[in-house]
Amino acid sequence: MEVNRTLDAVWKLEAARVVGALTRMVGDVGLAEELAQDALVTALRQWPRDGVPDNPAAWLTAVAKRRAVDHLRRARRERAVAVEPEQERPAEDDVLRLVFLACHPVLPTVERVALTLKLVCGLTTEEIARAFLVDTATVAERVARAKRTLAEHPPRTPGQLSSVCEVIYLVFNEGYSATSGDDLLRPGLCLEALRLGRVLAELVPADPEVHGLVALMELQASRAAARTGPDGEPVRLHEQNRGRWDPLLIRRGFTALLRARGAGPPGPYVLQAAIAACHAGARSAEDTDWAQIAALYDALVHLLPTPIVHLNRAVAIGMARGPEAGLELLDAIAADLRDYHLLPSARGDLLLRLGRGVEARREFERAAALTDNAAERAFLRRRADEAATPVGRTVAEVVAEFLAREDFDRSTIRSYGQTLGRLRRAVGDRTPLDSVTTEDIGEMFTAVWESASAKTWNRHRSAIRSFCAWAEIPDLSTSVDRRAETRRAAAPIVGQPWEEGAPIRERLLWTLLRESRSPVRAVLDLDVEHLDLAHRRALGGVRWREETARLLPELLGGRDRGPLFLADRRPGPGRVPRPEDLCPVTGRGRLSYERAEYLFKRATGLTLGQLRNARK
Amino acid sequence: MRYLMMSKAGGQAPDERLFAEMGKFVEELTAAGVLLATGGLAPASIRVASVDGEITVTDGPFAEAKEAVAGFALVEVRSEAEVIELAKRFRRIVGDGEGYIQQVF
Repeated sequence: MEVNRTLDAVWKLEAARVVGALTRMVGDVGLAEELAQDALVTALRQWPRDGVPDNPAAWLTAVAKRRAVDHLRRARRERAVAVEPEQERPAEDDVLRLVFLACHPVLPTVERVALTLKLVCGLTTEEIARAFLVDTATVAERVARAKRTLAEHPPRTPGQLSSVCEVIYLVFNEGYSATSGDDLLRPGLCLEALRLGRVLAELVPADPEVHGLVALMELQASRAAARTGPDGEPVRLHEQNRGRWDPLLIRRGFTALLRARGAGPPGPYVLQAAIAACHAGARSAEDTDWAQIAALYDALVHLLPTPIVHLNRAVAIGMARGPEAGLELLDAIAADLRDYHLLPSARGDLLLRLGRGVEARREFERAAALTDNAAERAFLRRRADEAATPVGRTVAEVVAEFLAREDFDRSTIRSYGQTLGRLRRAVGDRTPLDSVTTEDIGEMFTAVWESASAKTWNRHRSAIRSFCAWAEIPDLSTSVDRRAETRRAAAPIVGQPWEEGAPIRERLLWTLLRESRSPVRAVLDLDVEHLDLAHRRALGGVRWREETARLLPELLGGRDRGPLFLADRRPGPGRVPRPEDLCPVTGRGRLSYERAEYLFKRATGLTLGQLRNARK
Repeated sequence: MRYLMMSKAGGQAPDERLFAEMGKFVEELTAAGVLLATGGLAPASIRVASVDGEITVTDGPFAEAKEAVAGFALVEVRSEAEVIELAKRFRRIVGDGEGYIQQVF
């Protein structure tokens, strides 16, 4: 369909001028677009039959304007509105007014973006939907809603240049650093934004920020070819082949930046462009003037104190003044960027430069778990592998194993799966479980569920504790407290909880708890050297009776030192227990409260506290 | 996508009107953010060739004046249809003659 392609190309070249002129004539942007669409439909009918006109742009403009005049005549007949004769005005004014209207601050950002791409760039609804990876109906709805808003409440102000710049840069970034999907660059959107920015710079030549925006986009676009590898994976700035940077766009960027030089202090776009220019001007990564870049970020962070700018500033300062300085700044913004993958990724970089490979690995794993972009995820995993060799089983493996337990019913699996899914995102799927500390989990837990209801908090807490106990991660209860919720107390009734042949450790623990009536922790804290077997008591006041006395020698098995109750396995390398919690004979750690609780609950369905209070 | 638009010499000799219209066209394309670079080419050319590893540099070739490429424009467009439309607009201004469009990658 050669004709269709021609019409599409012509329309995209002319859309802004045609819709702009029609908007001026009929006074409503929505109506203007409909009239322009009528003209397109007419072209689709006539061109294949009569051939493409010699000057298709002029044809389209003339037909669209005729539609507008017809409309005005009808309106005049119906409502006695006077039709002013069409006056020739500079098309530039129409285009500028249209851009300001489409980007008007009265509209939500997503609607501004959709309306601008539709009316100013002439993109179809399908094209916008494809570029933003949303469905067509969503885009159509955004455009319709925006047009309705502008028709029902015509804005009294002409709009703001900053709002226009924001829309353009947003479109550019959506194309440049695609937030989702498998393709890192969606060049079409970058081109639209770049073209729109160039047009705007011609229309508003006196504004430095517009030139700053254009310079920023030209300079960033100049690196497009170098920033992805052969398999679409991202290549970091300092590893990019600078020979593949586009000198033409760099030159255009520098030219635009020169035009941005005006009176007064530079605005955010000019500062960002200046930072990009520092990179573009460096012959090699080593030549980069990081001190200058850090200084520019210092200025930028005052104008644009967003978490992302703070993050980039921390990276720049990490380069200019050393990794420790960078890490310190990153820690200060950690709470604001909890789910942003570039934060752990930047931390990983800095840690790696400090030679802390294992920690760096965890940060990269965490980053990989947080990104939605497949190419980026693969890249971050590779960086994790390069940072340190993983030891032991991964979080994902252990979680899967845990959830596959046969004693879980479907609702438990669903509920626990939800909690643990969040854990996996927070620490990274391929992070070795042994390197995860109780503090990590506690921190993650508080950050994620801080504002949850007591019931939700406790549900997730019990899921995590159950998992930790099973996976032998030490006591979580020190950092995460149970929250009070109103509920009925369960009546504990229990007979002999253990079947004959249960492990000696479990039998003794339960018996000791029952006979001593001591707190669970006091019993778990018992050390062999503090036991007074002859007098059936231990240092700290725990006393017992004949059943315990009978079972004790069996559990001790000749041990004369170390914790009385031991875990099943030796602790992992990432979780070295305190010396007093380690058995010098077997090398195993002290049995944790969580683990003990898990063992009891599995056998009896009751908590330790309930068991202890139960009568035999 | 980028395209190199090349135009051969020939056709009518440029007069003041043509220069003015061409200038306006170039300005428009620049303002629209489409034109990245443009320039005219001198008719004289130098031939650099390598045969069996031996490099020779000679003047020429002296093609017929109307066969030589006389000007170029590097444009950034959305589609092939768009660059064709631009080329048509260019032709409407300069009149009879021919040119080529090739994608740059």
